Amino acid sequence: MRNSPRAEAKRAEEGRPRWGLPLLFFRARKGEGLAALGFLFLGLLLIALFVIYPSIRTLWLSLFNEDGFAGLSNFAELFSDREIVDFSRFLRREPPWGALLHNLVWIAIHLPFTVGLGLVLAVVFSKVKSWWVGIARGAIYLGIVTPLVVGGVIIRYLFEKHAGLVPQVLGALGAGVPWSAGWTAYPETALLALIIGSIWLWTGFSMVLHSAGLSTIDRELYEAAQIDGASEWAQFRHITLPLLRPVTLVVAAMTFLWELKIFDIVYVATMGGPGGASNVLALEMYFSAFRELNPYRASAIATLITLFSLPVGYWFAKKRLGR
Amino acid sequence: MRSWWRVLGVVAVVGALSLGAWAEKLVVIGPWSGDEAKPFEAVLQAFTEKTGIEIEYRVMRSEDLGKVLPAQFAAGIAPGDVLLTAWGWWVKKFADHMVDLSAEVADVPFGFLTPIVVEGRTVGIPYAVWVKPGFWYRKSLFEAHGLKSPTSWAEFYGLLERLEAIEGIEDAAASGDEVGWPLSDTVEHFILAVGGKDLFLDLTAGKVEWQSPEVRAIFENFIIPYLEHASEPIEWTSAKDLWWEGKYGIYFMGNWLTGMVDDPSDLGVFALPGAKAVTGGTDYIFVPKYSERIDDAKKLVAFLMSKEGQEIRAAGGGKLAIRTDVSPDAYPPAEKALIQALQGFKIVPDMDDTIGGEWQAAFWDQLKLLWVKPEALDDVLRVLDEKFPKG
Repeated sequence: MRNSPRAEAKRAEEGRPRWGLPLLFFRARKGEGLAALGFLFLGLLLIALFVIYPSIRTLWLSLFNEDGFAGLSNFAELFSDREIVDFSRFLRREPPWGALLHNLVWIAIHLPFTVGLGLVLAVVFSKVKSWWVGIARGAIYLGIVTPLVVGGVIIRYLFEKHAGLVPQVLGALGAGVPWSAGWTAYPETALLALIIGSIWLWTGFSMVLHSAGLSTIDRELYEAAQIDGASEWAQFRHITLPLLRPVTLVVAAMTFLWELKIFDIVYVATMGGPGGASNVLALEMYFSAFRELNPYRASAIATLITLFSLPVGYWFAKKRLGR
Repeated sequence: MRSWWRVLGVVAVVGALSLGAWAEKLVVIGPWSGDEAKPFEAVLQAFTEKTGIEIEYRVMRSEDLGKVLPAQFAAGIAPGDVLLTAWGWWVKKFADHMVDLSAEVADVPFGFLTPIVVEGRTVGIPYAVWVKPGFWYRKSLFEAHGLKSPTSWAEFYGLLERLEAIEGIEDAAASGDEVGWPLSDTVEHFILAVGGKDLFLDLTAGKVEWQSPEVRAIFENFIIPYLEHASEPIEWTSAKDLWWEGKYGIYFMGNWLTGMVDDPSDLGVFALPGAKAVTGGTDYIFVPKYSERIDDAKKLVAFLMSKEGQEIRAAGGGKLAIRTDVSPDAYPPAEKALIQALQGFKIVPDMDDTIGGEWQAAFWDQLKLLWVKPEALDDVLRVLDEKFPKG
């Protein structure tokens, strides 16, 4: 690799990635490029076979229907389908609001909660030195190692009328139906139950990454701030938050992608019901593919999910390939 | 180094032997597990003893098969040699991938459920029958409170009120939930009782709309008043436990319930007033044409459908034989009593299993909504019409 100091300085100044894949082949010496290709060949072959080809095939299928080439009509139908988007009910009446809007509501609630909660817990656990910290950290991390199918079952029973802790507690506090009943049985609460459950399942991920990020911050910065008389809050705001920003952005991106393709817990806990009140895009894709036996509509939904994921995925990949 | 060669040799021999043993077994895939699978496994055992053909039984529900098989069929492979699914509609859709089994069932006297025939080829064979005879109750509870099976609608709603007045009973009727089928079974029973068999069959065939006045009237005048006394949907085995413990008075369920309670002799069942038919269903046997042992698979199918095979299955309880020539004496007492109770009733194919596809999932889901939001009836009926298969 030829990297002149001037070029390197210029690149650093511009903040451009230093090791982008094209650079590897086009700017490396011939021998190095071939060697790199040799090492990457098997991985690239697998990616081509199991990621790129299916993606292109899915995109291709989404442009067809049973009668042949259909252009973008599958997508037009999706956006006029109440099961995907129903603005006439959105925030005016209880769900269903359509699978896409449910995904967006999921993101709007789940994303800030998991990212924020993970950050706060990581900071608190790094400050507190006590015997229970390890237990609490383990309990929260348990969510991320729990298979999502099991998570779905747990959510179902957590909010079940007779066995569920949440309705029992709310009932004892005097809450009425549906809060004191089975949350997953009512359209007002089914989506909320899944979102709350998924916050528990995913917060461990955010906490662990933020904890790892915290361990990389130089302690001397805090010591210097303390000498200058900075409060805990000021230290958090001016040292912890800015230095954890790259980690937080990665957590936010990963969480966003996870939320867009959420399927397992919905399938197990509510099957998208009642009356479609907790349906999401991935489940709608499943119904189209395996119930309706309509691969074209299913491919269009899959493409839609990919299109929504792409900007975040691209940004994330760029960050990962960057410095 | 020498010892490594020895280890490798042993591994190779063991691997070859186990591969051989595995390859020799006929793979049967069905939906039953645990106690529910035992009567079927007894039939498989009898087949092995008779023919010497070893069988490996694996469990996969219809939902799971529905996900796996399309891709496998497209690749020209199959996970088993003889498969069973409750989805008759699905067997029809994938008929091209299945073996013609006409010869194996040529002499079988079928009852109300007949084989699936596509373009002259018999691709799906109904195996054991379940029926949904009505609302189950505990005789001990009814006797303790002087309650009787209702013979009129006034008596039925009166019974619901009397049950709710009993201390400890939360709701008169338990409502089972899973993906929603227990609710659809209940609704189908109401339609049969109020609208009759012809309306039921017309709805199944798509000749009558769900938003039509006669169907709407069944919901408005009979089902919604019932929902005032029914629990919200609860996972169906939990609902069964709670009903058995006395939290609920009655429970609508299929005849497999007899194998799920501690004391089947305490079980009583009644159909809704006016019902002259009840729903029933089955699991369909099919053989993928990608099976490497089609001849053995056909032998097994022939045995499963033989009088001998059906009588062994009947003796296990929980299901009724598909053959009409199986004597009531072949059944255990609970099924014998059920057969007695079903005298005079027609059995019609379960509606949602017959229609299947996206509509079935929508039916289940919309009924879950109706159960907690009866005021959503208009939306529910509209969706059921919109989702009904076209053509």
